[in-house]
Amino acid sequence: MSTALIQTLALTLGGALPALVVGVLISPALGWAIFSSVLLLQLLLGLRYFSRLEAWSRHPSPTHALEGAGVWDEVFARLHRHERELRGQIARRELDLRQVAAAGQAIVDGIITLDADNRIGWCNRTAEQQLGLDLRSDRGQPIANLVRQPAFVAYLAAGDFSRPLRLIPVRNEERVLSIHVLPYAGGDRLLQVRDVTQAERLDRMRRDFVANVSHELRTPLTVLSGFLETVRELPLAPEEHDRYLALMAEQSDRMQRIVQDLLTLSTLESSPPPPENQRVAMAELLAKLKRDAEALSAGRHAITLAVDAGDLLGAESELTSAFGNLISNAVRYTPAGGHIAIAWRPLGSSAEFSVTDDGPGIDPAHIPRLTERFYRADLGRSRETGGTGLGLAIVKHALSRHQARLDIASTPGSGSRFSAHFPPARLAP
Amino acid sequence: MSDSIHVSRQFDEDLSGLRTHVLEMGGLVEAQIRAAVEAYATGETGIVKDIVENDHRVNDFEKIIDDETIHVVARRQPTASDLRLVMGVTKIVTDLERIGDEAKKIAKGARRVHEQGMLQIPRATDVRHVADEAVVMLRQALDSFARLDSALADAVIHADAKVDAEFKAIVRQLITYMMEDPRTISTAIDIVWIGRSIERIGDHAKNIAEHVIYIAEGRDIRHSGKEE
Repeated sequence: MSTALIQTLALTLGGALPALVVGVLISPALGWAIFSSVLLLQLLLGLRYFSRLEAWSRHPSPTHALEGAGVWDEVFARLHRHERELRGQIARRELDLRQVAAAGQAIVDGIITLDADNRIGWCNRTAEQQLGLDLRSDRGQPIANLVRQPAFVAYLAAGDFSRPLRLIPVRNEERVLSIHVLPYAGGDRLLQVRDVTQAERLDRMRRDFVANVSHELRTPLTVLSGFLETVRELPLAPEEHDRYLALMAEQSDRMQRIVQDLLTLSTLESSPPPPENQRVAMAELLAKLKRDAEALSAGRHAITLAVDAGDLLGAESELTSAFGNLISNAVRYTPAGGHIAIAWRPLGSSAEFSVTDDGPGIDPAHIPRLTERFYRADLGRSRETGGTGLGLAIVKHALSRHQARLDIASTPGSGSRFSAHFPPARLAP
Repeated sequence: MSDSIHVSRQFDEDLSGLRTHVLEMGGLVEAQIRAAVEAYATGETGIVKDIVENDHRVNDFEKIIDDETIHVVARRQPTASDLRLVMGVTKIVTDLERIGDEAKKIAKGARRVHEQGMLQIPRATDVRHVADEAVVMLRQALDSFARLDSALADAVIHADAKVDAEFKAIVRQLITYMMEDPRTISTAIDIVWIGRSIERIGDHAKNIAEHVIYIAEGRDIRHSGKEE
């Protein structure tokens, strides 16, 4: 300010001095004329800079610098710098915002921000899919206008968010959502939508499992106690007596097998991962399993064994029970006169164990569920052959602990093939 | 100056509240139909009582919203698009209330069908299928109202023909059942009534979509299609 004042004064004085000299020496009128033209010049100069500033202020641009002289230059430079800084700040903020939005998109749950009137501020794509929203058209819309299910509307209106809301969305009834409302920043709220379909399914499976175990154990137990009562209360002929005892022994064997299999499963679940440096001699192991199978078959099947691949690394007991289960299944389900081929062969850098039979095969509808605990494709036949319903569950578990994959291929009427595919890391060098 | 901003803000809130109430009523009605169809398809008729009771809530909504529209008209004298919205809302509410009645009829019909329980219900899945389509029509009509999306409303209007055609197919099917075995007649007639209610729901959803186009664009397209 003061520099501007001094400068103006100096210029005015600089004009006044020659004007005074001319005015005294020649004529006062000429002196005044010179003085006023100096002032006018100053005014014009100021006007020129002002019009530049005026034009620039309409479209402030950091690339187009203002040029001026003296005090004007300083002001222009400051304005220019200010503009540049502002733009830099805006760009940084925009970047921050984009990063926050990207983080919101990356969250696996659905996220929706709501204002105090439950209007949608922002949501990620997961939330759009879960609830059928479209941010482009729905921003600013009260969320209850679009998610209209009475349960949801009532939950929002009640304002008690201490428990999440469980909601089956009408737009996708296969899913189950759990909705949390979290207050943040003033009256705003964050709606977190979590897909709990899988969790609920697991929960149901666990309940089913408990129910199944009880059922599976109760059946032989009922038979057993029925016979016990008969034997105790009725006078029986000795041969009848023996027959009942044999049936009772059979049922108690069955219970024992179920309990044994359950224990095996729970051991598999709770024990540490199988060792990666312990060698399992496949040739001997499979030869032993083949002898067991021949004993079980008692000459009713033709069983072949081909060992072309090397040894495995892992827990021998687990592998024995996995392979043994697959082989004994084949023996039990293949009618007399059938063929069973056991093979252990290299497959590129990995290796495959397979059991192929020419039995009745499995309906494709059952295949995806075969490894579920107590799942039975054919109830009567499975019990009749002494199955517990847990064999394939054990197989799958033992194999997956060795990073191996169980594949089941079957054509009804012409046989089945169960194969276990082991990765190179599990093959002994 | 500040006063007039306040007034128009209040007006905006009135209109927005009106829309929200209509959509809330729509959500309730949609849930009613779904519950009624579920009762029919599964035979679990225990919820029929709830559906009949909930219909009072639908009727209460109608009264409340009618009251609100009268208030808005009396106090704000809406013009242009605001007026269309208010007029459209009164008509949409009437359609929604009728849909609620149809849901109640479906629920009661389902109870009758399952109480008779003397025959395997023919074509149960067909009824369910056409009901699902009618529910989707209603949902999309309400979506188009929430977003004032006249393209979606157009799609709803076109979907109605399909629901009508499927209803006729179900009736033809039931007629053959009735001719084959006269003992099925009373149940079949109940199922025809259920199908008829579903077909009416489709019609009301179409009406709502037409009102949405009127609100959004000011075009009245009722009765403009070719008459049957």
